[in-house]
Amino acid sequence: MRNIFIISWFTLREAMARKVFMFFAGISLLVLIISVLVFSLVDTQTFISAANQGQSDLILKEIVAGLELLIISPLAGLCLLLAIFSSASFVPVMLEKGTIDLLLSKPISRPQLLIGKYLGGLLVVFLNILFLIVGVWLIISLKFSYWDFSFLLVSLTVTFSFAVLYSIIVLFGVITRSSILGMMVAYLIFLILSPLLQLYKTELHTFVENGIAKTILDGLYYIIPQTAELMGKLTVALASGHGIDNYSPIITSFFLLVLVLSFSIFLFRKKDF
Amino acid sequence: MTAIETSLLEKIYTTSFGKQKIQALKELSLSVNKGTIFGLLGPNGAGKTTLIKLLLGITFPTFGSAKIFDEDISGYEFKRKIGYLPENHKYPPYLRGSEVLHFFGKLSGLEGLHLSKKIDEMLELVKLTEWKKTKVKAYSKGMMQRLGLAQSIINDPELIFLDEPTDGVDPIGRKEIRNILLELKERGKTIFLNSHLLSEVELITDRVGILNKGTLLREGSVKELTERKEEYIVNVDDDEYVLLNHSDSNHQISKLSDGSYSVKVDDVRSINILIDKIRSDGKIIKEVLLQKNTLEDMFISLINQAEEDGKK
Repeated sequence: MRNIFIISWFTLREAMARKVFMFFAGISLLVLIISVLVFSLVDTQTFISAANQGQSDLILKEIVAGLELLIISPLAGLCLLLAIFSSASFVPVMLEKGTIDLLLSKPISRPQLLIGKYLGGLLVVFLNILFLIVGVWLIISLKFSYWDFSFLLVSLTVTFSFAVLYSIIVLFGVITRSSILGMMVAYLIFLILSPLLQLYKTELHTFVENGIAKTILDGLYYIIPQTAELMGKLTVALASGHGIDNYSPIITSFFLLVLVLSFSIFLFRKKDF
Repeated sequence: MTAIETSLLEKIYTTSFGKQKIQALKELSLSVNKGTIFGLLGPNGAGKTTLIKLLLGITFPTFGSAKIFDEDISGYEFKRKIGYLPENHKYPPYLRGSEVLHFFGKLSGLEGLHLSKKIDEMLELVKLTEWKKTKVKAYSKGMMQRLGLAQSIINDPELIFLDEPTDGVDPIGRKEIRNILLELKERGKTIFLNSHLLSEVELITDRVGILNKGTLLREGSVKELTERKEEYIVNVDDDEYVLLNHSDSNHQISKLSDGSYSVKVDDVRSINILIDKIRSDGKIIKEVLLQKNTLEDMFISLINQAEEDGKK
């Protein structure tokens, strides 16, 4: 456990040295500053009255959650894109000649090394996302004097989506010792495959008549990480305090994460450097 | 007690899709005693780095086995007793010199005050104290080597693997590194050294192994490897004296340009007989020198011989 912590901590240190993470944090800071400026110009009472003629507490809750999501929804996607880009090289850099030799000469097992690197990457992204989400939550909660903690759970769904995609990046990093393929696959899943399969499952499922095509698409729906659902429906449900009504995207994605990470460790243990 | 013991160790690298197989090490059996400096020599591609990587679990053997301090190398706990300076090592460029030592010290199991003390001690030893707060991306090649050496011994290891430790280091720095290695040996440490600089290896190693194309050609002490038992230089204190008269089937004598004589004999007894003859002639012998190869001469002739044998 100590070794995993050391590797994770130094991955965080590595991230701090990279400009892309500073850019990531800079964007978050900019969004927070703009939010403060915008909300300082808004008169809360007028805003609530305009949006809420019933004046019930429930409506205020929805206004606050709606505003928070309005800011976070586009940013969460951007955060994930940046997170993939910035963390894709963690494992390939570690596997470079001259670096991996030194690490493997120390009393640390290979699984500890890879898990440490994985958790380090996850920690970096989680802290970045947490900074943005807690910031937005604080600004809006202070402005409306309404404290709904469920919005903070968004940081977990975004980090979990990243965790699944990052496990795939790690796998390709171990196999190819390069960040490009893993990054491409992660973007393909996040931007194309997962949204398309979600569309198929929710809108087009009944229109597909061919049995084989249906089986293949259904299979893919469960095999490919369901990041579109995690970042969409699930995030909105959690942020609005409605709770999760369908655990399937979490379970299948988590199962894939464990499988992919285990396979990465298996390959890493056997690899010659 | 042996520090390193390998038995019929083999490594075959397979290229992508198994199209080509490269045998990096062939049935290598080697034993390195505790508290000695062992030098492994060989041309590029001989398998020297592969051997170190196998011993450290960075790469895996195809056949054979190896032990370090009687522990099988398949685990990783034995690495607590080990230090390693790889060739072309890379340190994170964003770290400062002291942070590099902090990171690798922590990974080697050091903590807290003890680690801080060791960092200062190591930086002092390799003369990098004033550079401790400088990021390593600003370090010269020689400074990186010195930092690498500090990194490799920060955990006070029993066995230190050094792959080209003086690469890029100036002559003064090299001498300092040699002195550090000798001091470590004095303290009972075992050092396994890969180097191209034969003259340097000759100066500090107790035993040497010559590796070529994955095969251990010879192994022994520098003295054993460089001695030419049959040839002596004899210098007599009389320029007029003609030693050539004593040339016979047991003594092949030739005069050298400096007036001394080269005497080739079958055994030590023969040179003693010749010395008796010179004395009985009433001459004074100034010196009798056993001719030696330098390690470089021996290395080149051995590698050339191996190449010729390979062609046949």
